[in-house]
Amino acid sequence: MTTNLTVARQMVGADLLRLAKKRGFMALVLAVVMAPLVIWAGYQVIEHASNPAAYGPAGGIHHFVKMLDMLGIFMGPVAAVLIGAEAGAGDLGAGVFRDNVLTGRSRLALFLARIPAALAVTFTVIAIGFAFGLAVTFGFAGGLATPSISLILESAAWLALANGVVCVIAIGVASLTGSRPGTITALIGWELVLSPLLLQATTLGSARNGLLDGVLLFLKPGPASGAPAITMSVAVAIAVAALWVAVLPALGAWRTQTRDA
Amino acid sequence: MCKRASGVILIGMRNTHANRDNGGPAVQIAEHGAPAVQTVGLTKHFGHRAAVEDVSLTVPRGTAYGFLGHNGAGKTTLIRMLLGLTRASAGSATVLGLPVPAQRARALARVGAIVEEPSFYPHLTGRENLKVAAAVRGPGVRTRIDEVLHRVGLENRANDRVGTYSLGMRQRLGVARCLLSDPELLILDEPMNGLDPGGMLDMRRMIRTLVEEEGRTVFISSHLLDEVEKTCDVAAIIDGGRVIAQGPIDELVSGGGGELVVECDDAERAAGLLAGDTAVHELRIEHGGLRMRLLAPEQAGEINARLVSAGVVVSRLEPVRHSLEERFLEMTTRLEVAA
Repeated sequence: MTTNLTVARQMVGADLLRLAKKRGFMALVLAVVMAPLVIWAGYQVIEHASNPAAYGPAGGIHHFVKMLDMLGIFMGPVAAVLIGAEAGAGDLGAGVFRDNVLTGRSRLALFLARIPAALAVTFTVIAIGFAFGLAVTFGFAGGLATPSISLILESAAWLALANGVVCVIAIGVASLTGSRPGTITALIGWELVLSPLLLQATTLGSARNGLLDGVLLFLKPGPASGAPAITMSVAVAIAVAALWVAVLPALGAWRTQTRDA
Repeated sequence: MCKRASGVILIGMRNTHANRDNGGPAVQIAEHGAPAVQTVGLTKHFGHRAAVEDVSLTVPRGTAYGFLGHNGAGKTTLIRMLLGLTRASAGSATVLGLPVPAQRARALARVGAIVEEPSFYPHLTGRENLKVAAAVRGPGVRTRIDEVLHRVGLENRANDRVGTYSLGMRQRLGVARCLLSDPELLILDEPMNGLDPGGMLDMRRMIRTLVEEEGRTVFISSHLLDEVEKTCDVAAIIDGGRVIAQGPIDELVSGGGGELVVECDDAERAAGLLAGDTAVHELRIEHGGLRMRLLAPEQAGEINARLVSAGVVVSRLEPVRHSLEERFLEMTTRLEVAA
């Protein structure tokens, strides 16, 4: 048991090493998360400085809510997809998967080790973005209201959930397809184009409750940010999110076990 | 010592390089447990095409074993079956005495393997790649990283990114990765591929050291006949998915007996004396001397004695040394003609 835990810890550490040491990739992921936040905040700061009468301060609760959307619905999930795809198919792409299989180690263990490492990287990147967003929220609040501690904590938890779910799904899809580009294209297309369109389609009615984005928006703490309101119970929302997290990674695990190495 | 059965030339397992050149202990399959690898009737079909057909191999422990064949002969498919990467259509295999795939995990814990070519994360250094590999192999393996890097002569480049390595360095790093778990058996698929002459020499020396000084078994698949002849003690030749010969390199080369050239004062009389001898085959007069094939190399002395006692003056008596390449082409051509 102790041996298994040691090996599991080592394998997670190894996956973390191979992700974190891919410098170009990490720079891209950070840029995906930070660049929109920095540009948007900078624009608002300049706007307010140039005409305070027409434009309010860049910070405050309004900025905080928008920052949550960017980190939890748009650019955060894009980064989570990139990280999940790299974690799920990186060893296949490099040809190292076969060597790992040749050690006799369980393929399920090889799959499972990808998840904590990818989540650790995702959470770190999102935490950096969140810290920047908080700094702008409080630093440039002017006379505006700022979020309470409880809202900040709830928001952090929600960001972890939203991005963690997407990251795990990306690992599952990448392990299933064995293709990083395919996974990235499909999931970003889904996240940024198809899913928002379906969410807007009121003719779908309660079927939209099955959309992950709808669930995540429903669970988002704090004031609404203009996204379409979907009503469901918290239990249903959690069940839908759990289903997304269960099905695609399960398919990825199955493919990892059956894939020709 | 040499008999043919079902188109396979079976040659006795004795007189290996290791025994001959280094005075090491003879390979005793029965005394030291199961062979490193044993297959019985191993077969793999892809649809209607047979990639490997009824292959029965015995790889003795403590030897460098060459698995020879043209590209596409079935070498890698057989290795993949041994390592449990693909299932056999029929037959059975054991690795270090353990049946695969039934006890694959236990067997592979004692095996280091490179299939096709060693792959690494190019953005990580050699040392970091070994850290990643060690993590999967088990607790405590990480402590061997420096040792194996030194073992393959990569300690000075260990902190460089693998993306900057030459093919030869990647092959050596592949061997280092194999050695991490201190394996009893190494299975190397085409380890000489793409290496320059210096790289081949390094690889050959490394393999000989692994066998002679460390007592490991090294199973090498290759289409480079000359390298196998120089590196291995024992070999099997596979053609069209079937093993057509296996045994110690010397005996494969000599065909189990060997060819003999005799120069004497009266070739016609000598030929008449040897014509009815059951030990002599394919006797012919060539360039004023005799050329013949013997059942066993030791019979050369008897031939000499018979000729001399009959009053024939023998001025030269020399076994003909063939290369493995010549024998390989001879065997595969013979099968093509028979087909």
